[in-house]
Amino acid sequence: MTATPDASRSTPRVFVQFSHPDRRFAPSETLVVRYEIEGLGDEPPCAVEHSVLWYTEGKGEEDLGVHFFDRVSDPDRLPPLAASGDFTTTLPPSPLSYEGVIVKIRWCVRVRCFFVGARDFVSEHEFTIGHVPPARIPVASLP
Amino acid sequence: MTAGPQSPTPIPERHRSNPFATRFTRPGRVPPLDATGRAIDVTAVVESLPGGVWAIEAPHGHGKTTLLMAVLEAAAARGRGTAFIQVRSWRDAWPALKAVASMRRSGVVGVDGWEQLPPGAATVIRLAARWRTGCVLATTHRPLGLRVLARCHTTPALLAAIIDRLPGHEGHIAPADVSDAFHRHKGNVREALYDLYDRFERRGR
Amino acid sequence: MRFPRFFGKKLGHRRTGSQAWASFGDGAFHAVLLAAGLTFGGLLLSGVAVPEWRINHRFLPTTCTILGKGLARRTMASADGQGSSAWQPCLRVGYRTMTRDVENWSRPPRRTLTSDRKQALAGLEAWRLGDSVPGWYDPDDETVVVLERGYSWWMWLLTLLLPGALVSFGGMGLARAIQRWGKSQERCAVPSRYSEILDPLATGPRQAIDHPGVPACDDLVNSPGTFLAYRLPIESPENWTLMGFGLFALLWNSVLAVLAVGAGLDLLGGRVDWFLLALLVPFAAVGIAGIVLFARRLLLASAVGPTQVEISGQPLRPGSSYELLLAQGGSGILESLRLSLMLEEQATFTQGTDTRTEKLAVWSREIHSWHDLHLVPGTRFEARSTVTIPADAMHSFASGHNAVRWRIEVRGTHARWPAFVRTFPLVVFPVANAGRMPGHGVSREATT
Repeated sequence: MTATPDASRSTPRVFVQFSHPDRRFAPSETLVVRYEIEGLGDEPPCAVEHSVLWYTEGKGEEDLGVHFFDRVSDPDRLPPLAASGDFTTTLPPSPLSYEGVIVKIRWCVRVRCFFVGARDFVSEHEFTIGHVPPARIPVASLP
Repeated sequence: MTAGPQSPTPIPERHRSNPFATRFTRPGRVPPLDATGRAIDVTAVVESLPGGVWAIEAPHGHGKTTLLMAVLEAAAARGRGTAFIQVRSWRDAWPALKAVASMRRSGVVGVDGWEQLPPGAATVIRLAARWRTGCVLATTHRPLGLRVLARCHTTPALLAAIIDRLPGHEGHIAPADVSDAFHRHKGNVREALYDLYDRFERRGR
Repeated sequence: MRFPRFFGKKLGHRRTGSQAWASFGDGAFHAVLLAAGLTFGGLLLSGVAVPEWRINHRFLPTTCTILGKGLARRTMASADGQGSSAWQPCLRVGYRTMTRDVENWSRPPRRTLTSDRKQALAGLEAWRLGDSVPGWYDPDDETVVVLERGYSWWMWLLTLLLPGALVSFGGMGLARAIQRWGKSQERCAVPSRYSEILDPLATGPRQAIDHPGVPACDDLVNSPGTFLAYRLPIESPENWTLMGFGLFALLWNSVLAVLAVGAGLDLLGGRVDWFLLALLVPFAAVGIAGIVLFARRLLLASAVGPTQVEISGQPLRPGSSYELLLAQGGSGILESLRLSLMLEEQATFTQGTDTRTEKLAVWSREIHSWHDLHLVPGTRFEARSTVTIPADAMHSFASGHNAVRWRIEVRGTHARWPAFVRTFPLVVFPVANAGRMPGHGVSREATT
């Protein structure tokens, strides 16, 4: 998926490093994340929020649960003075990542940059907790 | 953990999203399209929005809420105060009345599910809208005595155009599937998308 | 000048607008309600509640001698220009304060004000000239004296009720709007210490302690079993259907009885209401049908008999085994009885007037099955089995609109009656202290 660049301003890009390259974590394990924000041009953010959350995906309305949240508004810790950030959190024992049929549970890191004029830009980076195998579609429901 | 960029390593396989998940198909995610599949110029709609209470009328799953949310977004982009109220039961009458009573003179309030309002509440909201001289856009499934701003119609071409705007389906959905889903659900685009969700899940696993 | 966007999303990396303007109107509305409540409450407090409190707490006691009696007249002008009068009995008393002797009219209680002059006069008859009665005077203005104290609780209720409602409703709404002002979706979703106060009506499934997303299993462990540790609650639509039929039959036939009595009285009185009689016919048909359906359901429920399931442990964990006890009552021959463990996903989507809930069983395993069971009334069939939760099983999950549920299902086929299905919910927790799959190295990930 690509973001369509806005003609009047540059599109930020967020690069994220996880403490595990395969981005698979065990429940209650420590998650260490480092991110870098590039492509801001002449428009530095006035605040950056980073969060660790789960959300559901499928045929139902999306639900969301925030496990970790932090907001950085100190200019010394924001681009262009500080183009990267990091955080550490201990993951909860649940919910585990789940690839169901009509309900899926996904974990992700979100980095949200706020700009002047109430605009913001969000970047999402998925990871996995646990190793629950994908659910299989029952034979009876196959066409 | 190293600080700088490394030599390229393969990006781990990510979980595949079903493009027909509600995350991608819910109203507001896809722009409103007309029956031929072309995007509707909601800016023109906003510029000609009259005051009072107007209805967007159509059966279930025909894009009423999608059009409503797009109009609200365009109105907000033009500096008009907006609010969106989804009415699911009589309890939502109060938030709807609040929104109409507090809207700005040029504001636009969207009420999704006008039929769910108790009759008395609907009358009060109409009076409040007249007093505030803003615009209230309501979605309805049938004529309710409101002036009609738009009626939504669906076609297989519309459904195909919506699918083109969703994340890729990796070839699991053929044009025959789209046509079959549309006719099976009698033009209800929402149900057709649920049907295609199931087909994608079955074929993608 | 750039205007805040209501919202504007793209797939993947998204630009979103803040909800600042959407919250502004809501916050302003609640601010007006709050201000109205405070103003109204302040006026009522200062005019009613505070004076009553002073009388009961600050006024000093004295002894009053009744020197005279009279009626105070209050004239009020109405919108049509006509005036109306209200009367209030008053007493002129003499009393001694700490500094001097005072003579003045006492302040009568609010409740004695009446538009009926005769009633006001009658209120004076209880007092006799020259009598000594207890009184209380205002130390800040010694000419103010009252002969009665106490609280008019109903006035306090009115004083506080409406302004209180305005203040609490307006205050909570304003606080909620401020709390959410300009905040991102993630920030709003972080639970705060004020969540329950600001959103008392916000409901969601109760969660297990220390296991976010896992439903609480309190309802599953509060019923001890007879042979095993816990008896599982039944989650079956049959009982609701039976209750529904029963309520309908009761209500409908109650209305029918009232109509029939009315028609009967008319007939006895020599009047024939043909419309009522014509209405009674279809009403009676529906009423009889309702009774028949209810009786049939009741017979079915009692003939098939109750099903009970007990389990040796709760909550369940993947990879662990538990003992089950199945008990089935009833009579006749059960051609088959099947005990299964199943996993079901549930997703709910609401859009406008449509609420769509879909359920899908994604995993099922038969635990045990029996055939040709002869059930004897008064006794029950009992059997023990062992159920093992797969080691890689997904735990139970419940959020606002989505769920992953484990169930024990008992499916029976009766020789004479329709087949039945009874389900019993389970809660499976995640594996304790699960390790991760091994991984290597560090990668840098591009997100565009």
